[in-house]
Amino acid sequence: MNVDSDPVMVPRPIVVAARALCRKRGEMYLLDNINLDILKGEKIAVLGPSGAGKSTLIRCFNQTEVHDSGTLSIDGQVIDRTTDLVKLRGMVGLVFQTYHLFPHLSVLDNCTLAPRLVRDMPLMQARALALGFLEQVGISEQAEMYPHQLSGGQQQRVAIARALCMQPRIMLFDEPTAALDPEAIRGVMNIINELCAAGITAIFVTHEMGFARHVADRIVFMDRGRILETTPATSFFEAPRSTRARIFLDRMLCL
Amino acid sequence: MRSSTPHAVTGLQFVCFCLLLLFFPGCLLRAQSSPVPGFIHDGVLNVCTNPTLPPMTFMKHAGGDTDMPSGVDIDLARALAGYWHVRLEVSSMDFVGLFPSLVAGRCGLVASGVTRLPSRERSFDAVPYLDTALVVVAPATTPPIDRMSDLSGRRIAVQAGTSYTAMVEHLNEQLVAQHRAPIEIQQYPTEENVVQQVLLGRDFAFISQDVEIYFRQKQLHGRVHVILRTDDTDYRQFALYMRKDAQDHEALRHAIAVLSANGQINAIARRWSINPVGATDLTAGPVITFAWGDFFRALASGAFLRGAGVTLLLALASHVTAIIISIPIALRLGGKPGPVRALLGLYIYIFRAVPTLLQLLFVWNALPQFCPIFREAWFSPFLAAWISLSLNESAYQAEINRSALVAVDAGQIAAARALGMGTGQTYRHVVFPQALRIALPPTLNDFITLLKTTSLASVISLHELLSVAQVEVARSFEFSEYYAAALVYYLLMVLFFIMLQKIMEHRLGWPIHGAGAHER
Repeated sequence: MNVDSDPVMVPRPIVVAARALCRKRGEMYLLDNINLDILKGEKIAVLGPSGAGKSTLIRCFNQTEVHDSGTLSIDGQVIDRTTDLVKLRGMVGLVFQTYHLFPHLSVLDNCTLAPRLVRDMPLMQARALALGFLEQVGISEQAEMYPHQLSGGQQQRVAIARALCMQPRIMLFDEPTAALDPEAIRGVMNIINELCAAGITAIFVTHEMGFARHVADRIVFMDRGRILETTPATSFFEAPRSTRARIFLDRMLCL
Repeated sequence: MRSSTPHAVTGLQFVCFCLLLLFFPGCLLRAQSSPVPGFIHDGVLNVCTNPTLPPMTFMKHAGGDTDMPSGVDIDLARALAGYWHVRLEVSSMDFVGLFPSLVAGRCGLVASGVTRLPSRERSFDAVPYLDTALVVVAPATTPPIDRMSDLSGRRIAVQAGTSYTAMVEHLNEQLVAQHRAPIEIQQYPTEENVVQQVLLGRDFAFISQDVEIYFRQKQLHGRVHVILRTDDTDYRQFALYMRKDAQDHEALRHAIAVLSANGQINAIARRWSINPVGATDLTAGPVITFAWGDFFRALASGAFLRGAGVTLLLALASHVTAIIISIPIALRLGGKPGPVRALLGLYIYIFRAVPTLLQLLFVWNALPQFCPIFREAWFSPFLAAWISLSLNESAYQAEINRSALVAVDAGQIAAARALGMGTGQTYRHVVFPQALRIALPPTLNDFITLLKTTSLASVISLHELLSVAQVEVARSFEFSEYYAAALVYYLLMVLFFIMLQKIMEHRLGWPIHGAGAHER
């Protein structure tokens, strides 16, 4: 669908590199020997049945979940216990399935809070920045409203704008469309496409096969903490390599 | 953590040691210089009294413009202070607080129309100063009786904390042995409550001392009369009470003897018309009506306004302190289990389990026995009430705060973390504002309860709203008027805070479960 926007075929830098990444809870492996490279500007959909470790994986990328072993590099930097988390989370934004907007703050204040506290940004500059991103996600008219006055789709856009205000290079989306109607899903789709056109890398967990098919460049298919295959989106939906993925797709499509 | 505890102990010991050093020179000076008894400190004679027993000790003036009680006991205390050339200070308090305060060293003498009793003299020294007689008083229409045992099967009223209860119980044992019905005793906190029960017809009679009845005749316009005047040897004299000390006892006895010899005590008795003339003056009482004039005068009086001010100030100060104490407790309670959390749980358990009244009495009367610094003048009833109500309320507030913190969606913390905010920033800007919204209604609810709980502080002699009303009632016997005035004050104060709650909830308004909802 989306033609690669890089006209000169220079190799794009790797922004996320995972090697033998593991995360355990008790004796169970939530992540089991994960190896994955993600390039700058790529759109990656992480698919798989519930409990496959999809959310755990993407949350490791901004260390809201911490891996137990293996190495993880973000933008060339190895992430370990000594990593400056404030800096890392400024670079890697996360949007939640249920948005988690701050209900006591207006849309604009939701967006300016973190830049002002974490980056010591002056109020006026933070507001200008936030209004820019709210404009980009098409919700600048609601800047003075409170979250409970917005629809689900509008709240999702605010959550995206709030994450963008930290000016991340990588955006993680944890089931961004789970609670949205088809109209709103199309809106989120467009936003992600725009972001990636501007050089941001988008990694999202989803159960919406149509969404993954239309947005993603590549599909990462997981089950029981392992990556079973990493395939370009078009070939994955036409001919998945792994048997597990084939069964999964059959079930998803023939509900 | 582990090393800080011994340090704290040595710090406390050091403070107590310094205070002892401060005390000692004073003690030495006193021993050398004068024949003034040991219960006088720094040139001040401190007397404890419960000013609800006219004419011995009571608030004479309407509106209570002076906090100083009047009466025989107060005049006698003033004469004693003059005799020793020291200053007089009078502490007013509930009757049940008198002897504990004496033990705690908060006052040197109890002068409160207390009769001389062998049982009391086991624990305290007593010096009698005025003859009296125990009387049984009933409505004017009741015929006289011949002896106490004629009260068999009747219900009588006595003031709580007085020894009349023990006397009647002793009599009851004899009655039961004779297969007769015992006397039923009802105890009330103040003497005017006692009188009121008889006026209302709830109780058959009350027990008191003759001098009180001489005086009450004027207030009650002959609606009661003496039906029995006993010759019980135990209740023949009013006495001053002091802590046991042979030397001081002798000094006080000598002083009373001198005041009696030079006619001062007689003059005091005359001033308060302590003679039986009034007892014969029985006429039909006027019809009881609600005195609107007195009601409105009470509403507008400085005493009620001041009482309400004390009530409000105490409630606000205690609750603010409680909130400050409770926030770290609530945060720690939400954390990992461990010895600190167990200790905090114990703290909350104790302050919720023990009655507030008991906590007040403990702080005021028991603390001075553990550490003498709490006997000093700076440890005022207000401070004591503030401390105990703060600790008490902090236990309840900690529970409110803890549940409010738990009620804030964990996703909010995750979202703040994901945006790079630190723990402090997350709590300050994300968790606390939302917890406040949740905690506000129960907090204001608790505040309203606390506002009314302050009325318990009257037992430690704090002049808050209810005690002002009670003092006025003791003076005038207009129950309905002064209780109604206090009621209006409480209603207005609580109404104000209910309105405040409405406004604040509106200002902080967002539906608690609205945010993050999947549908509009």
